[in-house]
Amino acid sequence: MAVSTDFLRSLPYLANLAADDVERVRRDILELSFDKDEFVLLEGEPCRGLYVVKSGRIRIFKSSPEGREHVLLVAGAGESFNDVPVFDDGPNPASGTALEPSVVYLIPKKTALALVADCPAALGIIRVFAARLRRLATVVSDLSFRSVVSRIAKLLLEMAVAEQAGTPIPRLTQDEMAARVGSVRDVVGRALRTLEKAGAIEIRGQRLVVTQPQKLLMLVEDYDKSRMP
Amino acid sequence: MVMKASGGEHRARCCVAIPEIDTSKCISCGNCVEECPVGIVTLVDGKAVITNPEACSYCTECESFCPSAAIRCPIEIVLGAPES
Ligand code: SF4
Ligand code: SF4
Repeated sequence: MAVSTDFLRSLPYLANLAADDVERVRRDILELSFDKDEFVLLEGEPCRGLYVVKSGRIRIFKSSPEGREHVLLVAGAGESFNDVPVFDDGPNPASGTALEPSVVYLIPKKTALALVADCPAALGIIRVFAARLRRLATVVSDLSFRSVVSRIAKLLLEMAVAEQAGTPIPRLTQDEMAARVGSVRDVVGRALRTLEKAGAIEIRGQRLVVTQPQKLLMLVEDYDKSRMP
Repeated sequence: MVMKASGGEHRARCCVAIPEIDTSKCISCGNCVEECPVGIVTLVDGKAVITNPEACSYCTECESFCPSAAIRCPIEIVLGAPES
């Protein structure tokens, strides 16, 4: 079904366009449908264009090399995503999956760029801003993961006990750890693997052994220092 | 042989740890059966049961896919020397 001009005009990107330009977008726009959990776009792939949600919800997230995910945005009806690579010419900075059956409009990159083609100054400025946004998204996702690693390190330092007859041994599930540090199970699992890789803990079956408490302490202190003004 | 894991009553604490299953919370969805990488969870009378505790690697996959928190894989947090 063709997209309505009114819908296009309701989008902040297109609100001030001349009728001709809106018509060009209307002609070029693609309507795509996705099932729940289906990928809409993949991080690192070439950019196809700018997406706008018609209905449903799209979860936009970044993945780190270790496989951790950080949700940047849940885009609902009328919201756009994948704006950055349209303008900085890089690959998709994040992946997107449908949280529910969703319909999404794709404004091809060429069409979106054509809207600013006759104003090179604006295009230059947008490029710089887009590149900065791309970098910030990476910084935010790094920082938020580091804060979970640091909070888990603190929790383990507080809880770990030496095994002695009569000393009760604290037991927590990963969900319970997540609740204590204000995170989710998935991220806690990755934080534990990070601590294990750093040589601070060893996970042996049901047992988490803090082998290098001073390494945990260092992680906590480094993170605290990095937050000082 | 089928061993019930509920309450951990069959668990020798020093040797094999297996997830704890609260059968009263189990809604028979079968997620744990499907997700266990070593295939040792089955449904008996509509309740999850671990059939071969020795094979459990305590990977916690069953816990992560249980929608009703019927399976728990608590982790003991201790201080100790590196293994190697
Ligand atoms: S902890 Fe892993 S191996 Fe053990 S029963 Fe659960 S899924 Fe299977
Ligand atoms: S995943 Fe949980 S609720 Fe589903 S069958 Fe297993 S124990 Fe029962």
